[in-house]
Amino acid sequence: MKGTYLGEFEELVLLSVGILFDDAYGLAIVDELETQTGRNVMISSVHKVLVRLEEKGYLKSRMGGSTTQRGGRDKRLYQLTQSGKKVLAASRELRNSLWKQVPKIVWEGSHS
Amino acid sequence: MKRKPNPPRWALHFFKWFCNDHLTEAVLGDMIELYERRAKSMQRWKADVLFVTNVIQFIQPFAIREKTSTSINPFGMYKNYFTITWRTFLKSKGYSFINIVGLAVGLSACLLIGLYVGHEVTYDRFHEKAERIYRVNMELKFGDNHLDLAVANPLFGETAKAEIQEVEQTTRLRWYGSFLVKKGNENIQEDNVAWADSTLFDVFTLPMIFGNPKTALTEPNTIVLTESVARKYFNRTDVVGETLTINNTESRKITGVIKDIPSNSHFRFTSFVPIIERTDALEDTWVSQNWNTYMLLKKGVKVDKVIPLLNTMTDRHLGPQLKAIVGKTLQEFKGEGNYFKVSLTPLADVYLHSNKIGELYGAGSIQNVYIFSAVAFCILIIAIINFMNLTTARSANRAREVGVRKVMGSKKGALVAQFITESILTCGVAMVFAIAITMVVFPFFNELTGKPIDASILLTPRISIGLLLVTLIVGVLSGSYPAFYLSAFQPISVLKGRHRVRGHRSTFRNVLVVFQFAASVLLIAGTLIVFRQLQYIQHKDIGYNREQLLILYNIDKLDQRTEAMKMSLLEVGGVEKATVTGFLPVNYYRSNDSFFTSPAMELKDAISVQKWVVDEDYVETMGMQMLEGRSFSKEIAADTASLILNESAAKFIGRNNVLERRLYGIVDQKTKQRREFRVIGIVKDFNFSTLREPVKPLAFTFGSNDGGMTVRIQGKDIAQVVSDIESKWKSVAPDLPFAYSFMDADFDKLYKGERQSGKLITYFASLSILISCLGLFGLATFMAEQRTKEIGIRKVMGASVTGITALLSNDFLKLVLIAVAIAIPAAWYFTDKWLQDFAYHINVEWWIFAIASIMAIFIALLTVSVQALKAATQNPVDSLRSE
Repeated sequence: MKGTYLGEFEELVLLSVGILFDDAYGLAIVDELETQTGRNVMISSVHKVLVRLEEKGYLKSRMGGSTTQRGGRDKRLYQLTQSGKKVLAASRELRNSLWKQVPKIVWEGSHS
Repeated sequence: MKRKPNPPRWALHFFKWFCNDHLTEAVLGDMIELYERRAKSMQRWKADVLFVTNVIQFIQPFAIREKTSTSINPFGMYKNYFTITWRTFLKSKGYSFINIVGLAVGLSACLLIGLYVGHEVTYDRFHEKAERIYRVNMELKFGDNHLDLAVANPLFGETAKAEIQEVEQTTRLRWYGSFLVKKGNENIQEDNVAWADSTLFDVFTLPMIFGNPKTALTEPNTIVLTESVARKYFNRTDVVGETLTINNTESRKITGVIKDIPSNSHFRFTSFVPIIERTDALEDTWVSQNWNTYMLLKKGVKVDKVIPLLNTMTDRHLGPQLKAIVGKTLQEFKGEGNYFKVSLTPLADVYLHSNKIGELYGAGSIQNVYIFSAVAFCILIIAIINFMNLTTARSANRAREVGVRKVMGSKKGALVAQFITESILTCGVAMVFAIAITMVVFPFFNELTGKPIDASILLTPRISIGLLLVTLIVGVLSGSYPAFYLSAFQPISVLKGRHRVRGHRSTFRNVLVVFQFAASVLLIAGTLIVFRQLQYIQHKDIGYNREQLLILYNIDKLDQRTEAMKMSLLEVGGVEKATVTGFLPVNYYRSNDSFFTSPAMELKDAISVQKWVVDEDYVETMGMQMLEGRSFSKEIAADTASLILNESAAKFIGRNNVLERRLYGIVDQKTKQRREFRVIGIVKDFNFSTLREPVKPLAFTFGSNDGGMTVRIQGKDIAQVVSDIESKWKSVAPDLPFAYSFMDADFDKLYKGERQSGKLITYFASLSILISCLGLFGLATFMAEQRTKEIGIRKVMGASVTGITALLSNDFLKLVLIAVAIAIPAAWYFTDKWLQDFAYHINVEWWIFAIASIMAIFIALLTVSVQALKAATQNPVDSLRSE
């Protein structure tokens, strides 16, 4: 199904937005991804993915939550849309169903 | 507290520049937050570097700003401006017509004047070496005499070339006058003949078509002709080697044919003969100045450096000669306050900026150039003001358009562009009309100015580009105020219909109207003064009776028959009196001479006079008056040593009993031989120069001069008398052409320049009034339209037609009155200055200004009241019916 394909990094970003819930903006997502995955994440890559996900309709955004930090500038706060949630759920289900189809012997026979 | 660290500003700006609006704010915030966090944990420069790295990482398609909408094709908008301009044209044909006609007439007046002025100021610029050519002037003062001459002594040029290395070449010119050229059996009079040095063609650019310019004027009895003269006698131009018979007797070989001399040359000779034929051309005298001398300086030589050298040279040569003649050394001579001063006039200044004694042709008038330029400028300003006034006045009609355009997102700049485009287009149309008008009226204009200017130069590329520029400038100038005025409208108020073009907004327009009318009043007053002065000249008692005097030419060719001719002519019925002499009050045949009141001939006793050689009938024929003493008589042998002085000369001598006094003239400068004269009469002053100059001292001596014959005729049928004289002439001298002119016509010629200027100024003053009125008419029409409802209500309430007309005219009347108040002092100043140029002039009188003012007020009132009356007589039902 073209268009609903979700890349790995995209899925991670979507999930991070979910985790951060009310405060999901660029730098917070970078921090979240870095602590959760231990990878070095580039801020430009995150924004690039955020723009793409918003275009696909999985995320929506609004401006707000400015502080004295960051030069008094507004944040772009992201939120999962219904289709975003759906695509995450679909991705998870697909994975689950794939997991289930793997014969147990594969896991158990691994030490033999 | 420590100030928060900031990332490098340039990186911030750079980011803002390339990043799209969707991301800029949020991403920048993120990056600054990151930066602040980093700045705490690491060195400042490292944080900076990382920040810049972050910025660079964002240079990716997703973040980069898309091209903004500036690339919208602007031609679409311009097309729209054109359409709207065209529609506005059509919608208000009357106003557009007034606008375009006013501008077109104004522009064409400017074009005409521009061409005239252009011709005047480009005199002698066609000579390739013009910048290095100078005319030698000699200014001298001795005793009470002061002479400012455009001529120098015979050897001046040659000596300068030999002694001063800065001088490359020199050449001389001198009037020959006229001669008769034989063509078949006929003798044709050829004027404009000059003596010239063979170096003429080295100095001036007079391209020779046939012949060798190096040798053309080196041999005696040769002649160089212009193309048109060559054609006149041979119908072709390659006539080198042919011979011309001059004055029936001499024959001259044609050695060169040059192109016709352009009309903007300060000399316009048509034939040149070698100056070396004259023995006096080589005479070693430094005290007699008669030769127009031109000097070509070497490249890069400063003229200021040459003048002192020329003066020392003159002193060196003049010194010994002065000693021989007046018995004084140069030092003593100068010690008494006398001097000989050499100066140089750049060739380009000779025509307009020099009016000395001995100029080759009449001088131009820089004053006229200024006057005409000022008039052209006034007219153009008046036309531009019309345009501005009408456009802003009618802005109410365009206000809605401006409002709608603004609501639709038009920026102020775009509106300004629109209105300026509109005015440039209008100007363009006006310019096309102006060129057409100019082309049509040009022949008349040339006749008026006496200039052979070709209007087709308006279409040459250089001038065309200039005209295009003028169109743009006038367009922008006249469009700028309306453009900024209109584009500043507030859309809300104009769309609500609250906008009114009254009140303080019209102040600027009023100022413009005042200016317009002030200029017009100035021009009218100027015209009146010029006219009065010319009339004064026409009717002034000039000391002789110039009516019914016939001047006959070719007398010098009669030789032995002169006396017989005079006698024969006196037999003709209607001929009263005749006198033979070339010295007439109306021509330039002059000779300056000095007399001394003491036999010792001391300089302080010198009196510089014009010496005219006349016969016994002169005073009577001319109708001059003897104040004292008597005229010459044939019967008294001693009269050959008698003098008649004019009043001025008598006054100069300054004592009573001038009659019977002895005066002494120099016969030979070297031997100091003198001649004694006895004053036998004093003639009443008569004007023999233009009335710009006071009457100068003059003396008549008794003798024969065959420069012309003047005949006083009487009777009603002048044509018959002239034809009788002609048949008599033919019977006495069948070989000579009968040529004559009338003295009064010649007198009028002296004032040709003034009369031309007078006429021109009249035309242009009328034009300026016309254009002003056109504008006023438009403005009045518009005002009446604006107040239609008000007028309707007033009428319903019982206002009279007169009352309403007065109401509408009042506003304008006030403006015109202010204009008059401003214009009169200015007019007074300028006309007074102009009149000061005449030694004999009228006084500036107040009533002239009164007339000018009344004229302006009357014309303005007439224009306005026509409209006012129309508005006032309208039926109020019509104006109030619709709402």
